[in-house]
Amino acid sequence: MGDKNLSGWRIVLKEIVRDKMALLSLILIVAITAFVYLTSLLLDQSQIVRVNLFELNKPPSSEFWLGTDQGGRDVFGQLIIGTRNSLTIAILVTSLSGLIGIAIGLISGYFGGMVDNFFMRIVDFFMILPTLMIVIAFVTTVPKYGIMSFTLIMTAFLWMGKARLIRSKALQERELDYVKASRTSGSSHLKIMLVQVLPNLSSIIIVSMTLNLAANIGLESGLSFLGFGFPESTPSLGTLVSYARNPQVLESRWWIWVPASVLILVLMLSINNVGQALRRAADARQRLG
Amino acid sequence: MALLEVEQLKVHFPIRGGLFGRKAEPVKAVDGVRFTIEEGQTYGLVGESGSGKTTTGRAIIGLNPITSGDVLFQGRSLKRIVRGSNQSFRRDIQMIFQDPYSSLNPKKRVIDIVAEPLRNFERMSGQEEKRAVQELLEKVGLSPDSIHKYPHEFSGGQRQRIGIARAIALKPKLIIADEPVSALDLSVQAQVLNFMRDIQKELNLAYLLISHDLGIIRHMCDYIGIMYKGRHVEQGTTSDIFGNPQHIYTKRLLSAIPDMDPNNREKQLQLRAAVNLEYKEAYNRFFDEQGLAYPLKPLSETHYAAMPERG
Repeated sequence: MGDKNLSGWRIVLKEIVRDKMALLSLILIVAITAFVYLTSLLLDQSQIVRVNLFELNKPPSSEFWLGTDQGGRDVFGQLIIGTRNSLTIAILVTSLSGLIGIAIGLISGYFGGMVDNFFMRIVDFFMILPTLMIVIAFVTTVPKYGIMSFTLIMTAFLWMGKARLIRSKALQERELDYVKASRTSGSSHLKIMLVQVLPNLSSIIIVSMTLNLAANIGLESGLSFLGFGFPESTPSLGTLVSYARNPQVLESRWWIWVPASVLILVLMLSINNVGQALRRAADARQRLG
Repeated sequence: MALLEVEQLKVHFPIRGGLFGRKAEPVKAVDGVRFTIEEGQTYGLVGESGSGKTTTGRAIIGLNPITSGDVLFQGRSLKRIVRGSNQSFRRDIQMIFQDPYSSLNPKKRVIDIVAEPLRNFERMSGQEEKRAVQELLEKVGLSPDSIHKYPHEFSGGQRQRIGIARAIALKPKLIIADEPVSALDLSVQAQVLNFMRDIQKELNLAYLLISHDLGIIRHMCDYIGIMYKGRHVEQGTTSDIFGNPQHIYTKRLLSAIPDMDPNNREKQLQLRAAVNLEYKEAYNRFFDEQGLAYPLKPLSETHYAAMPERG
């Protein structure tokens, strides 16, 4: 435990620098995110998704860097906006489901007993719902389907894991004497939960949120691939990949789907790498050195 | 009026077991304890592990629910207040915890830990608060510069003194010290204990000292209560208990105190054997069928013991 004197962020930094893959991944993520969000400010989404019958299925050229799809739309522009949409959704879903999960997990674990029982039965109820079926039914029935509604429906089924994780840790923490000391110091339960217990859960929250972010990118892409994601007017990484369901596209027009697939792979792997480094930083026994 | 009166305090923990969580016989952690503490005095609770001494302390300060009986602080019942929203009684009763490692939040700086009670009860500006915390740290013998350090930067004894600084921040009248030194090594134990006595004189504190170490109890306490299986077996002043123990359990406990002089080794051995024999022979007279002690009977003005019914 020689690292005990270092503050949390220094340990994280040290761990990431030690792990060259994680360092590379972090740089990649930051670069991709910055590039995508900055360039998409300059791009006009309605311009890019407009069908252009004169430029159908063009291979990559100096005019269209990654060619065009069967609607004559610029694949590169779609890739930028699609990555931005996918990342936005993943971040929103992760933070929203994280927020709900933390709130319920913390209340449930801190109070224990009846309160815990009540919330955990609600969690159990949500766990047994067939998530995919409900999402698909929702997508097909809701007329106006965009980033917000997709985020909300995903969040509704993704907070339970986080709630359970936080609850189990909060159950441990509440038995420690510092919680009782706060109580005898006259602090309210709410104050103890937020000011005393929550900072002690921060490391597992950060780690699990990072790993969830990667999973959520995959989730969005998967649903879009199956055709239950966004309409073609809202490009995402998943919609680009889903063009490959057409055998012709899959076989002879690689430029439409390969870049998006590679980007999904790179993003998920990079975020996972960083997440693993964070996990090691949070657990002294797993650290590299 | 006594500062603290504990009246027939009972703390039972229900055990749920079997099918459908039926209620089984509850664990009687504390089963009818009564004692009083006067202002500025130290009352020692002694007993083996599981005798209910810690539970008693925690029930008084409201960390364990009271099953029956009552706790009066300056004549006011704490039983109802503990549950309610009015937490002002906590100003006057504070606690020192056993484990200096888990009783300080590892993510908080010393100033946040020591100032927590101040923030709840006093309206202070940032500057005033900082000065108050520095004064408290000085009082417990720590450098006032260490307010921005984290708990892991301190040794066990220093941590325990941070815990004491937190407990005296509001100038309470009663401090419940739950084995305050049992996690510390011997040299530091004396240091912390003497320091607790100094503070006691300075602030006119009353202590409820919970310990299994008879040496500490003898050194610190004016009154002593010996607990066994959730009940008192004997209660009295320090000289009553150490000079004239009446209950066989007390005798056995006292005979277990090690004697430093190797010349007395044989004598001590014989004494222990004799006490042990007496304990075995008299066990059925001194404890009822469930192995519990009888109610306390007065032997003198201050001295009570759970003597068996005679005749």
